[in-house]
Amino acid sequence: MPVTSTSNLKLRAELRLKEFLLTMQEFFLFAVRAFSTIPKFRRYLRDVLDQAVICGIESIPIVLVSSISIGGLMAMEVGNLLEDFGAKTMLGRSTSNAVLRELGPLLMGLMLAARYGSRNGAELGAMQISEQIDALRAFGTDPIAKLVMPRLVAALVMFIPLVALSDFAGLQTAAYVAEHYHKIDPGMFWNSIYPKLAPKDFVVSFLKAPVFAIIITLVSSFNGFSARGGTAGVGRSTIKGIVVSSGLVLVANFYVSKLVLDFMH
Amino acid sequence: MIELRNVTLKYGEKVILDKVSLTVRNNTIKAVLGPSGVGKSTIIKLMLGLIKPNSGQVFVDGIDITPLKETELYPIRRKMGIVFQGNALFDSMTISQNMSFFLRENLQLPDEEIEHRVMEQIRFAGLEGYENQLPESLSGGMKKRVAIGRALIFNPGMILFDEPTAGLDPVSSKKILNLIADLRQNSNLGAVFVTHIIDDVFAIADETAVLYQGKIIFDGPTGKLHESDHPFIRSILSDKILEL
Repeated sequence: MPVTSTSNLKLRAELRLKEFLLTMQEFFLFAVRAFSTIPKFRRYLRDVLDQAVICGIESIPIVLVSSISIGGLMAMEVGNLLEDFGAKTMLGRSTSNAVLRELGPLLMGLMLAARYGSRNGAELGAMQISEQIDALRAFGTDPIAKLVMPRLVAALVMFIPLVALSDFAGLQTAAYVAEHYHKIDPGMFWNSIYPKLAPKDFVVSFLKAPVFAIIITLVSSFNGFSARGGTAGVGRSTIKGIVVSSGLVLVANFYVSKLVLDFMH
Repeated sequence: MIELRNVTLKYGEKVILDKVSLTVRNNTIKAVLGPSGVGKSTIIKLMLGLIKPNSGQVFVDGIDITPLKETELYPIRRKMGIVFQGNALFDSMTISQNMSFFLRENLQLPDEEIEHRVMEQIRFAGLEGYENQLPESLSGGMKKRVAIGRALIFNPGMILFDEPTAGLDPVSSKKILNLIADLRQNSNLGAVFVTHIIDDVFAIADETAVLYQGKIIFDGPTGKLHESDHPFIRSILSDKILEL
């Protein structure tokens, strides 16, 4: 390879790395500012409540659809597998582990990254390119306190009941499929769950809610605030917000499970 | 009073403003005239501290705002109203909510006082009957008048207009210029307006600064523009609208 090409590649790699590190630094400062404005939440209570409706109440249908699908699917597939080993009575326990600890919160996180994250990215991106965020600053209002903090607080509060709802709907569907598809007595299904439930199952599940809330809200809002270049720029920033937050939700899901299960073993 | 002192601003390697010095006195309408993309809007954003220069200083009422943090800038910005080129109305809020936004955010006023001030601005802008509509349902000229009302509602000492008549039909442009002229007559408001339309400058500006290739090539009373022998100014005086 010619020397100039190698040095060009190296230069480009250095530039990309520098750009990445600068973005990380900006994101870190953005996150710090978002958290530091939480004490102002009373002033923006109306905005917090509006966002709570958007990310909480209005997200119920999509959370239900995903949790019902995964609960039913898990019960059907795991039941078939357990049948081969003559262990169908273990279906409740197997399904509850998967739904409570992993799939319930994870699917909810991914659905909310798509629904709430895309809304944040597009809305804030449009505000950025139409100078509405500059207008807020010009009128002496902190745009992070006005626009990001309410989203963050609302998500932190509302994601927890959404996880509970997701877990509940997933397990109920699994019980329904166990009874009607695998012909397992409901009492047997639930009895294989309750005695084995441990605090760590709930800690794993409910700890993921605030972690996902922080990831989805901050990543999508940061990308919205960074939108440049007209409507195409809004599209780019929205996509970037969804892709990055979905990826981080997947990674965080693994690490939260691992840390909690290791710690509470 | 707003003063830019030897301000230089670069985007990457491109020099947008090159040691620009400019003073806007209270009770004066100052136009910043120049072709599109020359950095006129940038000057307004520098005055508000929305962007920071690479070098030089920006003074607002004698305070150098360039080293100030974002939170320290808020009280400074509250002295100035701004009308953005694209209006920047909050599209999720009604016209009256847009107009009352500053008052509700920054001043502890009773609701009656806020409503009174909003109605005053709505009447001034000729928008009676539209107060509960969203900005999307208004025409370009009406949106501009809402933006002006929103900027005026807290009685700022200075108002900054970014291309106030750009993209408007001649009738709406005239209405906006009359509105700005009325302000000068009825209050002691100072104003900066950036534009590429020279007729607007002659219509309302007391003083004019001409920005060309990142430098101020003329700064003085608008009437004296005709006396300038700079080739660019000579050419714009003959062409009237800058399409360079």
